Amino acid sequence: MAVQSQTPSKTSARSPYFYHVEPPPAGEQTADGRVERFLNAFAAILRFSNYRFLMDLYARASAKCGRCAVSCQVYQATQDPQDVPCYRTNLLLDVYRRYFTNAGQWRGRLLGDSSLSEQKIDEMAQAFYRCTACRRCTLECPLGIDHGLVAHLGRYILSEAGIAPKGLVISVREQLEGKTGNTSAIPLPALLDNLEFLQDELEELKGVSVSFPVDQEGAEYIFFPAVSDYLMEADTLMGNAAVLQAAGVSWTIGSQYFDGINYGLFYNDWVLERIIQKLITEAHRLKVQKILIGECGHAARSARQFVPAFAGERSLPVVSILELTWQAVKDGRIHLDPTIVSERVTYHDPCNIARSGWIVEQPRQLLRSFVRDFVEMRPHGRENYCCGGGGGLVSLDETHDFRMQVSGRTKAEQIRASGAQIVATPCANCKKQLRELMDYYQLPVQIVGVHDLVLRAIQL
Amino acid sequence: MPTWMLIAKGAALRFTLGICALGLLRLLLLTALDMFAALRRAGDRRLPLGQIARQTLSWVAPLARLHRSRPAYSFASFMFHLGILFAGFFLVNHLDILKDLLGISWPSLPKPALDALTLAAIIGGAYLLLYRLYAASSRRLSKLSDYLLLVVILNILLSGYIAGRPWNSIPYDSLMLFHTLNGIALLLVMPFTKIAHCVLYPLIRLGSEIAWHFPPRGGEQVIHALYGPEGRKI
Repeated sequence: MAVQSQTPSKTSARSPYFYHVEPPPAGEQTADGRVERFLNAFAAILRFSNYRFLMDLYARASAKCGRCAVSCQVYQATQDPQDVPCYRTNLLLDVYRRYFTNAGQWRGRLLGDSSLSEQKIDEMAQAFYRCTACRRCTLECPLGIDHGLVAHLGRYILSEAGIAPKGLVISVREQLEGKTGNTSAIPLPALLDNLEFLQDELEELKGVSVSFPVDQEGAEYIFFPAVSDYLMEADTLMGNAAVLQAAGVSWTIGSQYFDGINYGLFYNDWVLERIIQKLITEAHRLKVQKILIGECGHAARSARQFVPAFAGERSLPVVSILELTWQAVKDGRIHLDPTIVSERVTYHDPCNIARSGWIVEQPRQLLRSFVRDFVEMRPHGRENYCCGGGGGLVSLDETHDFRMQVSGRTKAEQIRASGAQIVATPCANCKKQLRELMDYYQLPVQIVGVHDLVLRAIQL
Repeated sequence: MPTWMLIAKGAALRFTLGICALGLLRLLLLTALDMFAALRRAGDRRLPLGQIARQTLSWVAPLARLHRSRPAYSFASFMFHLGILFAGFFLVNHLDILKDLLGISWPSLPKPALDALTLAAIIGGAYLLLYRLYAASSRRLSKLSDYLLLVVILNILLSGYIAGRPWNSIPYDSLMLFHTLNGIALLLVMPFTKIAHCVLYPLIRLGSEIAWHFPPRGGEQVIHALYGPEGRKI
């Protein structure tokens, strides 16, 4: 039986969009109209970034064949032409052509043509967040246009024009300007208590004392999970710590900064760089050799891709816990009991580390090494479907109906078709979205992290 | 000499080819220079060149991919492009004109094969046009220029194909004049419309990758430009 869906209302009572908008702080607001703010932001971003040549290239070459449509799970669910990735891309390209090319400016002067209006801005604000930034459409574009990158740019411009989702802005504000310095607002004493609790739990579970080292100068790795894991994913973290101890890895958590989350990747490059600088600063404070990212798709991608971009000579290698664990299994440094996990297990690829990253085979080989009944979803790997909560949507509770009925529908179908009892996925955002999906579609499937299963099977 | 031949062998076509070639070359050079400048600004200049080249080449002959997404549309599009390329560059009549104008030439392909490819391109192009007109997702994407360009190309293909058929009742010279004028129009607009993808194609995937290589402190400079040296709060 296919899962049923309906397209939810595109607006809410509190916002013209399907997400709540956080207005700029008092004193940061300008008297300019939204159109002027949008164009000013667009101009500044084009001047100080690498987007200008791309806009030129796409504006000249986009053939608008629309072949991307069928690869997009949002379009699959709605069949709405406005959800065609290329249509979304051309919303921004039209503004670029009109205001930032000579031909467009002449046409504007001669014909009085003005392609940007309040209505157009609203359309973009809606469209760029109906995209889950999964970049699946890039696989099917014959020309190689990256609609995910255009959505990223569109969100960046909108955020500097004062339109950004409240859920993302508030988290980032706490991370960069708040007292706790992390997106979940966990004070350091609470984190330390939590680590003690995890240590006790792990000892009770495995009968071995496994430490969660803090501020160990000179360790090989500094560990940044999605900070929400400390609150919600105890088994994942215990699995991580068990592997690191069993593999004989020297590692540490930094007390001054311990959050891998980087919502800048979802909406603003300025924010993205500032968060990367926090990672680097903490890594150098503790004189570590490498940065280790926990089970989190966007955290791993943002660190791997942007630490080298923003840190210059201070750059450090970035490693995913999935790479490290699989290497430890291959080297024989950890042993996983193949008789423990007997349920049927499938693996969901987080888009940010599969299609946009380098983690496809490692977790599969790891799971196959100790899971007796491992099945794949179709398609999977780089061609996987997004969980439906990508691009930061899962952090916006008000998008629940959209994520369940539209963006997550295909994934729910895939999981149902796999017949799996457990879906393992190494991403805090994917896990939250998939759990809500299983609940919504009443599918009796458990959603866990890869290291939750490793924890069950590891021999200490 | 009929009018169409005067155009095809005279200054008009020479001028048109010059505009087209220089326009496309300009686009190619400007894009390459812009990309090079962007890469120089980037904090991390490493590029997966092999992977990009493989992906770019795989779409030159995407036979293994056509069935995966909109198979009928994809197949129609492939035949359309194939027919245009082969009939355009390997028809003996075209090569004769090129030799007269520029003194360069290369081997032609047999006419029956090119006739078959042209017919496939006409069918493919007609499908693309109908799809753009009748499929909501495609119609919403399309502007007048998207239809006009397709119509001009179909005019060229159809008139060229019909002119050589024994059952054709339209005067040959009239068809060839129509063919030549549409051809000249297409060559003239090529550098200024989306047909520029014919030369920009090899750079697009590379450009998409380079654009992900952000320059350091770019975001901070944007904030200073918009809000002054004090910047802004989150």
